[in-house]
Amino acid sequence: MIEVSGLRKTYGDFAAVVDSDFAVDDGEVFGIVGPNGAGKTTTLKIIAGLVEPTDGEVTVAGFDASDPEMRRHLGFLPEESPLYEEMTARSYLRFFADLYDVPREVADERIGAALDRLELDHRERRLGDVSKGMKRKVAIARSLVNDPDVLVYDEPASGLDPVTTNSVLAFTRELRETGKTVVFSAHNLYHVESVCDRVVVMNEGRIVARGSVDGIRERHGETTYQVFTDVEPTATPALADLDATTEEVGDRYRTTVPSMDAVDAVREAVGDAGGEVVDIRSREPSLEDVFLDIVGRPMPGRYTGDRGGDGTGAESDADGDGNETSETATTEATE
Amino acid sequence: MTDRLRRVGRRLAVGVRRVLRVARWESARASGGVDRRTLAAGVALLLVAGGVVGVGVATGVAGLDVDQDVYRVGVDGESPYTDAIEEAPSLRPVSARSASLGDSADAVVVTVVRPGAGDDGSIDAADVEEVVVRASDTRKGEAAAASVREAVAAHNERLMRAEPNQTAAFPVVVTLRYVGRTTGVDDGATLGGSGGGSTDGPDGGGGGSDGPDGTGDGGDGTGDGGSGESSTGDGSATDGLGSADGSTESDDDGFAVPSIGGGAFGASTVGSPGSITPPFPFTSLLLAFAFLVPMNFLIQAYGSSILDERTNRRGEPLLVTPLSPAEIVAGKTLPYAAAAAVVTSLIALVVGGGPLSVVAVAPVAATFLGATFVGAMFARSFKELTFVTVGVSVLLTTYAFVPAIFTNVTPVALVSPLTLVVFDLQGEAVSTGEVLFSTAPMGLGAALLFGLGLGVYREEDMFSQKPVTRKFLDALAVRLSPIPARRGIGGGLLDRDRLRALGSVALLTACTLPFVFVAELLAVAVLFALPVTVSIPVLLVTIAFIEEVAKSVGLYAGFERGVFGRIGGDPAGDGGATGDGHGALRVALAVGIASGTGFFLAEKATAVVQAVGLTDLFIGRAAFADVAGLSGLPPLALAALFFAPLVLHAVTTSVASVGASRGRTAYALALTLATLGHAAYNVGVVGLG
Repeated sequence: MIEVSGLRKTYGDFAAVVDSDFAVDDGEVFGIVGPNGAGKTTTLKIIAGLVEPTDGEVTVAGFDASDPEMRRHLGFLPEESPLYEEMTARSYLRFFADLYDVPREVADERIGAALDRLELDHRERRLGDVSKGMKRKVAIARSLVNDPDVLVYDEPASGLDPVTTNSVLAFTRELRETGKTVVFSAHNLYHVESVCDRVVVMNEGRIVARGSVDGIRERHGETTYQVFTDVEPTATPALADLDATTEEVGDRYRTTVPSMDAVDAVREAVGDAGGEVVDIRSREPSLEDVFLDIVGRPMPGRYTGDRGGDGTGAESDADGDGNETSETATTEATE
Repeated sequence: MTDRLRRVGRRLAVGVRRVLRVARWESARASGGVDRRTLAAGVALLLVAGGVVGVGVATGVAGLDVDQDVYRVGVDGESPYTDAIEEAPSLRPVSARSASLGDSADAVVVTVVRPGAGDDGSIDAADVEEVVVRASDTRKGEAAAASVREAVAAHNERLMRAEPNQTAAFPVVVTLRYVGRTTGVDDGATLGGSGGGSTDGPDGGGGGSDGPDGTGDGGDGTGDGGSGESSTGDGSATDGLGSADGSTESDDDGFAVPSIGGGAFGASTVGSPGSITPPFPFTSLLLAFAFLVPMNFLIQAYGSSILDERTNRRGEPLLVTPLSPAEIVAGKTLPYAAAAAVVTSLIALVVGGGPLSVVAVAPVAATFLGATFVGAMFARSFKELTFVTVGVSVLLTTYAFVPAIFTNVTPVALVSPLTLVVFDLQGEAVSTGEVLFSTAPMGLGAALLFGLGLGVYREEDMFSQKPVTRKFLDALAVRLSPIPARRGIGGGLLDRDRLRALGSVALLTACTLPFVFVAELLAVAVLFALPVTVSIPVLLVTIAFIEEVAKSVGLYAGFERGVFGRIGGDPAGDGGATGDGHGALRVALAVGIASGTGFFLAEKATAVVQAVGLTDLFIGRAAFADVAGLSGLPPLALAALFFAPLVLHAVTTSVASVGASRGRTAYALALTLATLGHAAYNVGVVGLG
């Protein structure tokens, strides 16, 4: 449904997006994750045809992103959603339906359905008088008035209260059920993890990891084991080699190690110290941990002069098939 | 072919439908954005303003004298001065017998009898009656005495006009003819003409009755005692006086004396020399100004609406709809343009203007909106927008109003479309050429302003906080295409892509011509009051500077924004820009020549205006006409003269372009050099002429 290849966007000497390639399948919810300034929004705006790329190609639903006809198949939700505050929700949505040539009866039906689903009250109240969450819902409803095939949502739940956030995320999940393709950006990784099938992780304009959420977690996160003992394990050379760390927690000691072999080594060390293992727990990495693992490393500079494809850019292919890994990727992130 | 036309028609219909949709919603939104109290306050303010203007106009037109019965003057009923005082609006006669100076009267007219030869003390034939005006020893008394004197003078003049024998009443007739500072109008230009009244040909500046020595030749033409008119031997018309109602007509050629302003505000053409005032169409000007007042309100609302789209990114969702930026802008502008049209028509209806007034004001309104649109696209905040709208108001009001003051004085007045409104209100005919001359630059300028603003009606510029200068350069650069590098030796020098790219440069420069035209005319209007020895050199340099800036600023934008590769710098991203030294120099020269050519072609395109008679005007000839005496030159010399400006523009713009390709300082220096070269050429041409 969406093909992005060789995408590059520069502003003077500054590179906002560098050599991005990815594809989004029909009916998929695809996430773009990264810190502020990673290039997520620029990428989404290029997909939406709002920003012209410096280089590369983007097709959406078979149309070039710059083709005005493409916009008939697209719904876009920008990061901020200031509305025409003197209008009511219904008149605002009718206005946009008009611009998409949606017949009035069909528009009213769609608007009603979207507002019902989003549980939006005060439909006849001026938008200037409704809450931020309500405005966000109206903006989401606006992205649906033309019944698009592709939805591009930039930080849809940013700045909303937990209840509205959950409502928005649940709605996004439902969109997948109706066959919509959704490209979704967020810097809150929980939002991505709870909604997206696949993600790309961007940092400083580059894609540094990609694949399914589980795949990325598997590749970049490490399952750790916490061994709780009643005495402090003896500091043996074996434990030091295993990169174990021990903390005192109440009347116990918690030793964190990266593998089951290490757990055995801890058990042995505790036995040598005259104690015993009280509890063992495993901890799966969150996407947050994965993200920190990936982008927490020194990255190349943000300027085109430093981004000339010198091989320092790093990207991982979480699918493991090597198909999506760019040529500049090294094994740095996957090792 | 038919299919293609049908497709174009369908696309056009879709475009119009979209524009109307945006316009409809914009109207609803704009009206929804004003609460009822604000609206009521606005309407009340408008009514007050309208009332003030109305009273002012009524005072002038309907003769509602605000100085009615200001002074009380004691005068006897049988005094010959009674009539004079009664007819003066500012004077109120009271009985001289009961009048007490300083108390019940400000002045008293008394008849004093001075003793004659007889010295017996009685009144006899030798005694002399003398009328004396005694006034109280106050400032009001002095003013009252002065008013009495004026009233008597006016009364005497009325009596003289009523005399059946006008020759006896006015033994010397002076015909006033107001001519422009230039001689070009003497050949019967229609500017300011009253339409059909002209009877004489060019007077050649000699023998006219307007000179001090030409005052006596009309006397014999008035002997019929009616409203006769005689033609003097030199062909100039000398009007007779004394039509039945005592009024006279001045139907001389050239600059007609206004009928409306003259009548209402004291500027008259007939009377004793002391009572004749120069032509000043005050009422018409005041009424014409009324057309500009609503524009100032309109652009406030329009500018706010445009900027509102930009602040907080409200307009971003519109950019992802299938509508083009031009359709969005047209839709947003249409309600304000329609409001301007309706208000203009209503004002025209009220003040007695016709379709000409509406046609004349339309480009002014469009320019108000266009300039506001550009300003709102460039402004970074409502605070900046306020400066923009105030600037637009002041500049355009000045541009429209000030030249119109000289409606009957100089053809330069036609720089402003408001001059056409004044003509319309005076009931004077204007030619199609004059209408085009007056309205086309502003109309075209408005279109180009919208084009300039549309250049930055995109996500990357709309919602950014770039300085105005950077946005201006963006708006220009977006219209340019990179110059593709030449492929192989000799190949591709003029291939289609290169031609298209160079064509974009030429077109951009050509589009600056209306602004150049307006700026140069403004310079003429500003400088024409100075002595010729000062104004001509300054004008020649100013014009050279204006044209060099117009030709090169787009190129500077192209180099600044990386559309063209800079000399000594890396190309900014796209493959089209040439970065190596020789290649960049070639690009700089190529775009310089293209820009100069575009300017030359646009200049020559203005020759079209000659076809519609614009050069009937002196100013039109000055701007567009051929050099005198060309007919005798050989074809080669003619060709050289024709293409000399092309060489000039190509060379000077190339110099500026090379400077622009090296950076801001180099551009400033190169621009100075180009201006000096251009000015030297101008001086040479003027010297040849």
